[in-house]
Amino acid sequence: MENGKFGKYGGMFVSEVLIHALLELDEAFKKIYPTDEFQKEFHELLKDYGGRPTPLYYAKNFSKLVGFKVYLKREDLLCGGSHKLNNALGQALLAKKMGKKRLITETAAGQHGLATVMAGNICGLKTEIFMGIKDIERQALNVKKMELLGAKIKPIKTGAGVLKDAVSETLREWAACSRTTHYLMGSTVGPHPFPTIVATFQSVIGNEIKKQIFEKEGRLPNAIVCCGSGGSNALGAFKPFINEHGVRLYFVEGGGENLNAENSAAAFQIGSPCVLHGSIMQAIQDKWGQIKPSKTRAAGLNYPGRGPEISYLCEIGRVKACYAFDHEVFNAVKFICKTEGLIPALETAHAVAFVLNHPEEFHSDDIVIINFSGRGDKDIETILRFFYGFN
Amino acid sequence: MDLINEKFLELRDRKEGAHIAHIYYGDPNEEFSIKLVEILVKNGVDMIEFGIPFSDPIADGPIFQASCERALNAGITPIKCINGIKKLKDLKIPIIVTTYFNIPYVIGFEKFLEMIKETGAEGILIPDLPLEEAEPYLKMIREKDLHLILQVAPTTSNERLKRILMNASGFIYLISLEGVTGSKLRINPSILKLIKDIKAQSTIPIIVGFGISKKEHAEIIIANGADGIAIGSAYARIYSKDLKNPYRKLFEIAKLAREIKIGCINGYRKRL
Ligand SMILES: Cc1ncc(COP(=O)(O)O)c(C=O)c1O
Repeated sequence: MENGKFGKYGGMFVSEVLIHALLELDEAFKKIYPTDEFQKEFHELLKDYGGRPTPLYYAKNFSKLVGFKVYLKREDLLCGGSHKLNNALGQALLAKKMGKKRLITETAAGQHGLATVMAGNICGLKTEIFMGIKDIERQALNVKKMELLGAKIKPIKTGAGVLKDAVSETLREWAACSRTTHYLMGSTVGPHPFPTIVATFQSVIGNEIKKQIFEKEGRLPNAIVCCGSGGSNALGAFKPFINEHGVRLYFVEGGGENLNAENSAAAFQIGSPCVLHGSIMQAIQDKWGQIKPSKTRAAGLNYPGRGPEISYLCEIGRVKACYAFDHEVFNAVKFICKTEGLIPALETAHAVAFVLNHPEEFHSDDIVIINFSGRGDKDIETILRFFYGFN
Repeated sequence: MDLINEKFLELRDRKEGAHIAHIYYGDPNEEFSIKLVEILVKNGVDMIEFGIPFSDPIADGPIFQASCERALNAGITPIKCINGIKKLKDLKIPIIVTTYFNIPYVIGFEKFLEMIKETGAEGILIPDLPLEEAEPYLKMIREKDLHLILQVAPTTSNERLKRILMNASGFIYLISLEGVTGSKLRINPSILKLIKDIKAQSTIPIIVGFGISKKEHAEIIIANGADGIAIGSAYARIYSKDLKNPYRKLFEIAKLAREIKIGCINGYRKRL
């Protein structure tokens, strides 16, 4: 078995029951992904169904106000409203070719669940989505969309009823049905080979950025800023730039209200190496190794663990681990609405907030790219409630 | 000789299959867990799988998840568990410590092993530590004179089975079903074949677990060549129905334990 380690992070820490499914997936991915047939099908879907390439938009008003050039990589324009479709299409196609009949997954913001049922429908696979009851409540719009598209939603009541609990439950379900069902992991987390597969499918983002910025500016950017929890939109954008040492990479996690363990999701600030959901990663836990529930207003960042690869890249200093607090995030939403007429997802607004609040990180001749990972329709109620106290 | 081997030899002389009970310590409190183990041992349990609760037990079904959650909410810690094991010394039965890998990982694996050794426990079982991830620790575990109980499942390939058996120690834990603890068990030919496959390659005792809840399960499994069964959720299910006063359920638990043991004995004798 290849162990899928990134430094001390990663691995395959699952029950023996699931090992065969992971080995099977690893082998299928290595065999099927490089074939011309798969590449052709995948890229056609990304283009004609997903709407790729997504634009790299020069945010002029934003740039003027911060005093350096800011580009937005418009993953909010990808069909479904976030970057999640890149990975969902890739894995659904793979699952289909592996002969699987059904997809299961978990979702928090609902973006990944939505992308999964879209991809499932295209590939003719049934879809079941595990979602914490708290997330079902706060991401109601996406729940309705998923149901309309035919997904079965399984409400998860265990724990705090959030993403961590939904991931545990999906892993348990998978143990019972892995011969016929693919677990379409939503981020660069979980046991090997998931972190590698998800990062590979998402790296279409970074590959496009590289091409587009050369077309527009004739050079590499100085910095790329991404929000994240598991790390899929960030790794997708970062991957082609890891060896470009002149490009600074910023990963912005959910600071929550403050950096108390009870109020935050900033695992790089308050977490430590941990074995969670099948791999070693940076996660928020108590001194005995019990995982703590994370907290942030952005459902999609509300996971106590950072995936193994992003954990490693932050540890070696290639990526800078940053965070934004909830109030900064809401103000960033307002800012980007006003300057560029775009409503960002609360997750995405973390990256915007970081750029706004950390002028010390940037120079006047910098070109900075923000991965605009998703749009904010799903968060309208939460945003209005924050500013006006009603909905 | 170690207590696990001794126990299997003793059971062979008595012509009985082994009855292993899995509990999560501290659910709903430490006092009850100690009493529970005493009652189990008095009523036909031969070894204890002593669970250290973990916040995200991904190999466990709803009953044991709730068990972990209650124990953690009541303030259980790995250190309290370690001290709990020491309280069971007088029962003189083999104890295997079961927990998820993050617990020893955070304490430090070697330190964890030393703590386990000091309690007098015989071994450890870590459901999310498959052979490949366990490999760096095998030597350390052996040097501390502890068993690492490895698991095999209906999904394990023949090639892996061979490698797992080569590294197995104490006994091999055969997961009876594709799923989690406490699932509904239907004994099917593939399990019985797996038992045969293991016996054809190794003399290590075979314990079958996951979903065992009645005498008949134990009887069929052992009659078909397994050396014993592990049962857990079925006991926790009983006392979780009366958490205000779980002691009231000990009578019912004792009754089930005796029945399971009868299944273990009948199964073994059918084999002869
Ligand atoms: C719009 C958006 N951005 C970011 C994320 C965070 O996920 P990841 O860290 O995998 O990019 C999510 C997750 O739901 C999301 O919906």
